[in-house]
Amino acid sequence: MKILVAIKQVPERDAQINIADSGRWIDESDVNYTINEPDAYALEEALQLKEKNGGEVVVICAGPERVTSTLREALAKGADRAIHIESDDIGERDTLGVAEMLAEVAKAEAPDLILTGLQSDDLGLGQTGVVLAELLGIPHATIIMQVEVTDSGLKVKRELEDGWFQHVEMPLPALLTIQSGGNKLRYATLMGIKKAKTKETRTVQAGAAASPAITLERVYLPKKQKKTEMLTGTPAEVAAKLVEKLKFEVRVI
Amino acid sequence: MVALVCAATVGARSMGAAFSSGLHLSATLAEPAHFSGFEAALLLVGVAISAGLFFWRFGPILGTIFRSKKDTNFSLHPIGRRVWDFFWEVLCQGKVIKQRPLPGLAHAFVFWGFLAFALVSLNHLANPLGLAFLTPTGGVGNFYFIFAAIWALLVAVSITGLFVRRFFARPIWLGTKVSNESGVIAFLIFLLMASYLGAFFVDDGGTAVKVLWWTHTLTLLIFLPLIPQTKHLHLVLSPLTVFLKRDGFSKIPPLSGDEDFGLIAGKDVTQLISLQVYSCVECGRCTEHCPASNTGKVLNPKEIILGVQSYLNQSGPASDAPLLTEALVESRDNPPAKYMSMEAAFECTTCGSCEYQCPVGIQHLPIIIGLRRGATNTGAWEDTHGTKLFLALEKQGNALGLSAMERDKFIQKQGFPIFDGTQEYCLWLGCMGGYDPKGREIVADFARVMQHLGTTFGVLKKEKCTGDPARRLGNDLVFQTMAESGLKAFEAAKVQKIVSICPHCVRTISNDWREYGIAPEIEHHSEFMARHKERLPKQASGESIVYHDPCYLGRYRDVYDEPREIVKMAGELVEAPRSHERSFCCGAGGGLAFLGEERGERVSHVRAAELVGTGAQIVGTACPFCNTMFRDALSSMSDAPPQLLDIAQLTARALPKMQDTGE
Repeated sequence: MKILVAIKQVPERDAQINIADSGRWIDESDVNYTINEPDAYALEEALQLKEKNGGEVVVICAGPERVTSTLREALAKGADRAIHIESDDIGERDTLGVAEMLAEVAKAEAPDLILTGLQSDDLGLGQTGVVLAELLGIPHATIIMQVEVTDSGLKVKRELEDGWFQHVEMPLPALLTIQSGGNKLRYATLMGIKKAKTKETRTVQAGAAASPAITLERVYLPKKQKKTEMLTGTPAEVAAKLVEKLKFEVRVI
Repeated sequence: MVALVCAATVGARSMGAAFSSGLHLSATLAEPAHFSGFEAALLLVGVAISAGLFFWRFGPILGTIFRSKKDTNFSLHPIGRRVWDFFWEVLCQGKVIKQRPLPGLAHAFVFWGFLAFALVSLNHLANPLGLAFLTPTGGVGNFYFIFAAIWALLVAVSITGLFVRRFFARPIWLGTKVSNESGVIAFLIFLLMASYLGAFFVDDGGTAVKVLWWTHTLTLLIFLPLIPQTKHLHLVLSPLTVFLKRDGFSKIPPLSGDEDFGLIAGKDVTQLISLQVYSCVECGRCTEHCPASNTGKVLNPKEIILGVQSYLNQSGPASDAPLLTEALVESRDNPPAKYMSMEAAFECTTCGSCEYQCPVGIQHLPIIIGLRRGATNTGAWEDTHGTKLFLALEKQGNALGLSAMERDKFIQKQGFPIFDGTQEYCLWLGCMGGYDPKGREIVADFARVMQHLGTTFGVLKKEKCTGDPARRLGNDLVFQTMAESGLKAFEAAKVQKIVSICPHCVRTISNDWREYGIAPEIEHHSEFMARHKERLPKQASGESIVYHDPCYLGRYRDVYDEPREIVKMAGELVEAPRSHERSFCCGAGGGLAFLGEERGERVSHVRAAELVGTGAQIVGTACPFCNTMFRDALSSMSDAPPQLLDIAQLTARALPKMQDTGE
C-alpha cells in the first residue's frame, strides 16, 4: 500500500509569540519550527500501517526551505521518500490554494491512502485534508482514531462529540484526517537519521498563487484578564451561586 | 599425561616410606641429588603437554580478543596514570584489599606469594636439565628459598582461608553455584606450597625429596592448563586489563563511523571489551554493590559481563546475532539468558559502583550503556516512559517535558539576571533547577549564597537539558543535539565559568560533551561553597545531619570532602553505613528517574531507610535528583521523617534575610 502523508511545519508550541508589524501574522524571526502535532500522529499511523501491511510511505510538505528539516525528521522516523513543494508565499494562500498545491503532487503519486492531521496547531482550520480529498475526488473521513485495512478497503474509528465514536467502512483510495493521541509516537533514532541521509527528497516548485478566497485580516494575542468576584450570603447560598457560575458562566461543570 | 600419573602413583608409595624414617626441619631446602635422562625427558614431555593444553584453550581466547573490533579513540596516554594503576591495583593489590579487607589480604598474599615463587618454580623446572640458577648451598639461593618459604606458608594459610570462605562461608555474591574448579585450583595451590615446604623437612638426595619434587612438578603442570579453562584466566589477563582500561570513569567511547550504533551484536564488541569480559574473576563485587541487584531487579552486572563472555565463546566476535533479548527469556543456560535482556540493561542506574569496585579493571558502564545504545539508537527499545522522555527532550528541550516558558517565569520571579558576559559565573539551572519545585528552591538558595558572597552571576536566557538522561539511556541522537546546542549557547554568551547545583549536569557538561567540543570550566556548588567557606556563616545548631554522597559527585567526580565541609558548618556530620566511594544510589541516575521501577523494592526507599536509620535529624543531599527521590521515599516511610535539605539550603538558612531579592 502506498501512503502519502501531508505534513505541515508550525511554530514550536512553547515559542514566545510576537505579532509581526503587519498585524496579519506572527513575527517569524525568533521562532523555531516543528512538525504539526496531529500530522506527527498521521505519520505514525502511516508507519504502523506500513509495518503491518507493507508498502511505501511518502511524506509531502509545502513551504519555504526551512520545512526540509521537518521532512528529514519524517524520513528519520521511517518514511521512505519525501517531496518538498517549495513555496515562499504559503502564508498568502488560503486552504484551497494549499490543497491545490498538494493535489497536483498527490495526483502524480496516485497513492492508495492519504493521511494528514485533522488540523494545524497554528491556524486550526481543519479544512486542508477535506478540500484535498474533494479536489482528488476521493472519499474522506475526519478525526480518525484507528485505521484497519480490510479486504474491501478500510475500517476506521472516528471520534465524535461527548465520548462517542463512529465506525466507518470505506473503499480505497481515500483520505483520512488523523486525531492526535490515537497512537504512541516513536522517538527519532540515530540509525533513522543516518538512513534518512540516503533517502530521496524531491523538490517541486509550487505554481503561482491564485488570489485567495479567504484572507487573514488580523492576528492578536489573547488578552489576559483576571477578574475577582466575591460571593456573599450563607454558605448554602454561596455554594448555589458558585455552582451556577461554574455551570453557565465558566462552563467547567 | 599417562606417564605423569604413573610417576605420581609411584611417588605416593615411596613418600610413605620416607616419612616413616623420621622428620626433621632444616633451614635449607632439600633437593634431589640426581635426575636421570629419563626424568629430564619425562619433564620435557610433561611441560610440552601442559603448555599445549594451556594454549589449546588460551589460543582461541586470544584469537577472539584480537579478532574483536578495534577500539577507535584508544590511546595509552596518559601513561603515568596507567603505570600508577598497575602499581597500585595489581602489584599492591590496593583495590582488592581496600574493598574487602580480609579476603582481599588473603588474595594479596597468594598473589605476592606467586610473584616470590616465580623464580623458585623456574629454578625447580630448570633443575633436572642442569640449568638451575639457585642452589640451597649458595648464600643467595639459600636466602631466597627461605624467603619463598615464608611466602609459601602465607599462601598456604591464605588459600585455605579463601577455600573455607568460598565453600563453607559462601557469601551470596559469589553466586548460588560455586564452581568446583575453584576448589581444585585451591587444592593445587595448597599442594604446590606443601610440596615445596615439605622439602625443608627431608634429607637431600633421598627418595622423599624426589617424591616431593615430582609432586610439586606435577601440580604445576596440571595447574597451567586449568588457568584458561576457568576464571583463573584473570591471572594472565587482568594485569593487562588494569593497565589498558579506558581512561576515565564511566567513559563512553564515541561511536565509530556510520554503521556503529552501540553494542548490538558480536561485531560491535571491541577488543577492550573482549579483554575485559575474559578477565572477569567472578568475585561478584559488582553485584554486591549494585542497587538494582540489591532491590530484586533482573540486572546483575556480573552476569552481564559473563553473558558477553559466553556470547563470544559461542558466537564469536564477528557474529550478527543480537547480544540482548527483547523479552525476558527463562532458560537454564549458564549464564541464564534473562541477564542479557533489555529489561536488565535498562534497570541500571549508572551509579558506577560496579565499575568502581571491579578489581580486575572491567569497565561495566561503557558495556551496559553500550548495550543500551544498541537498543535505543536503532529504535529496538520500546518503553512508554523512555519514549516520552526522548520526545520531551526533542520537543521541549527539558527532561520534565514542560514548556520553556515555565523556566522564563521562574527566572523572572527570582529576579535572576540574564548572563551577559559582565558577570563572573553562569549559573546553570538544569532541568531540576529550572522546572522542579524543590530544585528551584535549591537554586534560589544557592543564588542567595552567591549574592551573600558578592559573586556576580547570570543565567542563560535559554537553556536546554545537558542530554544526561539521553546519554545514559543510549540515545546518541538526542544527546548530540543537546550537547551541540549547549556548547553553542555557552559560546554565544561568552561564558567563562559555570556553576551548577546538579552533579549530573556538571559531569555531562565537563566530561561527556567533550565528544562535541570543549565547554567552559564548570563546578558543582559544593566545590564553590567549600572554597568560600570562610565567608559563610557557621551554625551552632547542634543538629545531626547525615550526608548522602551522590554517585555523580562522588564516584564520578571524586568530590567527597567539599560537601562534608559545608554540612559540618551547618551541624554535626553523621556518616551513613555506606558512604563515600561505597555510597548506595538513590535510584535516579541513568535516566531511571524518568522510567520508574517496576520490579522489586524501590532503590530510593532502601537508601532512605538506611539514612533514617542513622537517627540523624536532617538528610543532607547535594543533588536535586537524590533530593526528589528521597522526598518521595521519606514521605511514604514515616509520618515524621527527618528534614531533607540540600547543602545550599543548609547554608542559606543561616544567611541574613535579604531585602533586595524580593523574598
